[in-house]
Amino acid sequence: MIRPHDSIIVQTLGRFVIPVVQIFGLYVLFFGQYGPGGGFVGGVILGAGMILSVLIFGHDASRSQVARNVLHGDGVGMMIYAGVGGLCMIGGGEFLNYANLEIPGLETASRRSLGIVLTQIGVALDVTVTAVSIVFSLSAEEIIEDSING
Amino acid sequence: MSHQLPVILFLLPLLTAISMPVVCLKHRNWSYPISVSTLAVMALVSILNLYNVINHGEVRYVFSGWTVPLGIEWVADGLASIILVLVSVLGFLGVVFTGPTSPKALGGRVVHYYTLILLLLSALTGIVFTRDLFNLFVFMELAAISSYALIGVAGGRALFSAFRYLIFGNLGAFLYLLGVSYLYAVTGTLNMTDMVDRLPFLLSSKALVGGLLFMFIGLGIKMALVPFHAWMPEAYTHAPESTSPILASLVTKVALLAWIRIVFWVLTASDTLLQGLFVFYDIPILRLMAILGALAAVIGAAMALAQRNIKMMFAYGGISHIGIILIGIGQGNQTGFVGGIFYLLNDAVMQAALFYLAGVAFCHYGIRKIDDIGRIGKQSPWVTGSFIVVALGMIGLPPTGGFFGKWNIILGALEANNYISVAAVVLSTLLTLAYFAKLLEGIFRQTSTQLDLKFGEIPFSFKLTLGVTSAAILLLGLFSSTIVQLLLDHALPPRF
Repeated sequence: MIRPHDSIIVQTLGRFVIPVVQIFGLYVLFFGQYGPGGGFVGGVILGAGMILSVLIFGHDASRSQVARNVLHGDGVGMMIYAGVGGLCMIGGGEFLNYANLEIPGLETASRRSLGIVLTQIGVALDVTVTAVSIVFSLSAEEIIEDSING
Repeated sequence: MSHQLPVILFLLPLLTAISMPVVCLKHRNWSYPISVSTLAVMALVSILNLYNVINHGEVRYVFSGWTVPLGIEWVADGLASIILVLVSVLGFLGVVFTGPTSPKALGGRVVHYYTLILLLLSALTGIVFTRDLFNLFVFMELAAISSYALIGVAGGRALFSAFRYLIFGNLGAFLYLLGVSYLYAVTGTLNMTDMVDRLPFLLSSKALVGGLLFMFIGLGIKMALVPFHAWMPEAYTHAPESTSPILASLVTKVALLAWIRIVFWVLTASDTLLQGLFVFYDIPILRLMAILGALAAVIGAAMALAQRNIKMMFAYGGISHIGIILIGIGQGNQTGFVGGIFYLLNDAVMQAALFYLAGVAFCHYGIRKIDDIGRIGKQSPWVTGSFIVVALGMIGLPPTGGFFGKWNIILGALEANNYISVAAVVLSTLLTLAYFAKLLEGIFRQTSTQLDLKFGEIPFSFKLTLGVTSAAILLLGLFSSTIVQLLLDHALPPRF
C-alpha cells in the first residue's frame, strides 16, 4: 500500500503538475494524427500522471480515485481497438481498413480520421491501465504473502 | 468472406481472452465452457480454412488495406493452414483436459489460466500466418509471456522454473530482434516476400550473416535446440499438469516453424542462391542445421534415458524429436522436408499425448517417478492402451505416424548422401526404445504391494483426450501417404 508523501513541497507541486501532465497526455494522444504522438505515448503520459498522483497523495486519497477506477477498464481499450477493426471487416475491407468503417453519412476521409482516433483511444486506454496496474501490483502487500505461502 | 478467415482465426481466441476477465468476474466457473466452445469453433474454422486453401489456393491478407512492403502481410498457405489445424485442435484438447483438474492445481487462478491459454493460442496463430519479421517477433513475445505466466500460474516451485524460462526466453527474443534489426538495416524491408527480391544483391554482406546467426540462436533458444535447451525440461516438469501438454506440443514446434519460414521462404527462395545445399558466406546453413539436429536427437534421447521423473523424461524426448525434425528439414530435398514437416505434426500429437499421460499419472495415481509407475498396471485399459500406442509412435514402429516420418527423413538423408544424419536418427530411435522399455517394464512388472491399491476409473475428459490423441497417432500412420501427398502438393517452399 502506498502512503501519502510527507513533504508539503511535493504535495503542492503535485496539485499543479498532475493536471498539466494529464492535459499534455490528451494533447499527445489526439495530436498523433497530425504529428509526433499517438496512442502509446499518450497512454504512457496519462498513466504516468495517475501513477504520480498515487505516489504523492497515497493509494486511498480521493485524488487517486481515477487511478483506482481506471483498473476496471482492463481490456476495454483492446475491445475498442478490435471493435473498430471488426466494423471495418463488416464493411467489407481488411481488418483496420478504415475506409470501410461502417458509419453512415461519412466520407472516406472522415472515416479514416475517425477510425484512427478511435483505435488510438483504445490503445491509450490499455497502456494507461497496464502502467497503473503494474504499480498497484508491485505495491500490494497481499501478493508477497501469497507467494511465500503458496 | 473466405479471405477473412486467417484474421478471424486470430481474433476469435484473442477477443475471448480479452473479454474473459470481465465476463467471468462474478462467475468463475463460466471460464471453462467459454474457452472450450471458443476453441471448438476455432478448430472448425481452421479446418474450413485448410479446405479453402487446398481448393482455392493460398490467401494473402494485408492489414489495413496497405500494399505489400508497407503493410503487415499474413499468408495462409498450405503449410500454415495445416499447422494451424494442429494448433487449434491440440489447444482445444488441452483445454478439455484441464476441465476436471481442481482449481487448486492452478493456484486458484482459474480465470487467469484460461485467459492466458487463449492468448497463447492467438499468438501462435499469428506466428504461423505472419510474413513480417517484426510482426513475428511481437507474436513470439506474446506467446512467450503467456507461457511464462502459464508455467508459474500455480506458484510454488514452478515460479523458479518460470523465472529461469523468462531469462532464457527473453535472451532468445532479444537475439532474434537484434538479428531482425541487422537484416532491416541491410535490406530496408521487414516483409519476407519483399526481402527475397533484395537478398541476391547482398550476398557478400557480413551484417546479413551476423543477423542470420543471431536469429538462429534466438529461435534456437525458443525451440529448445540442444546447446540452448537448459530452460525447457524443468519448466515443463514443474508447470501445472494441465499446462505442460499445450506448451510441450505447440510452443517449441511453432518456433521451429518460424525458422523454417526464414530459411526456406526467404533465404533459399532467392534466385541466385544454390537451391539444394545452401552455402552462404562459406557456411552451409542446411548442413549445419542437419548436424545440430543430429546432436540434439542423440543427446536429448540419451539425457531422457538418465531421468527418473516421468515429465522430465518426456521433455528430453521432445528435445530429441526437435533434433529429428531439423535433420529432415536440413537435407535440402523434397523427401527430407516433407518427412520433417510430417514428423513435426506427429511429434506435436505425441508430445501432447505423453504429457496427458503424465498428467493422468500424477492427478489420478499420484505418480511422479518412474519407480512408482507400476501403480498404473491393470487399473485402466485407457491409460495402459494409450501408453502403448504413444510408445510405439515415439519409438517409430510401422502402424504409427512416427514410423513414416522417420522413414521419409531417412530416405531424404540417403538421397542427400548424408550418412551421419541416418546414423543419428537410428541411434536416437534405439535410445528412445531403451527409455520406453524402462517405462513399459515398470508398468507391466507387478509387485505384490502395488496390487492392493485400487483407483477408480479415470474421468471422461481424460479418456477423451487420451483416446483422441492415441487415435490420431494411429490415423496419421494409416493415412500417411495421403498426408505426405498433401504436404508435397501444398506445403513445399518456393523453388524446391
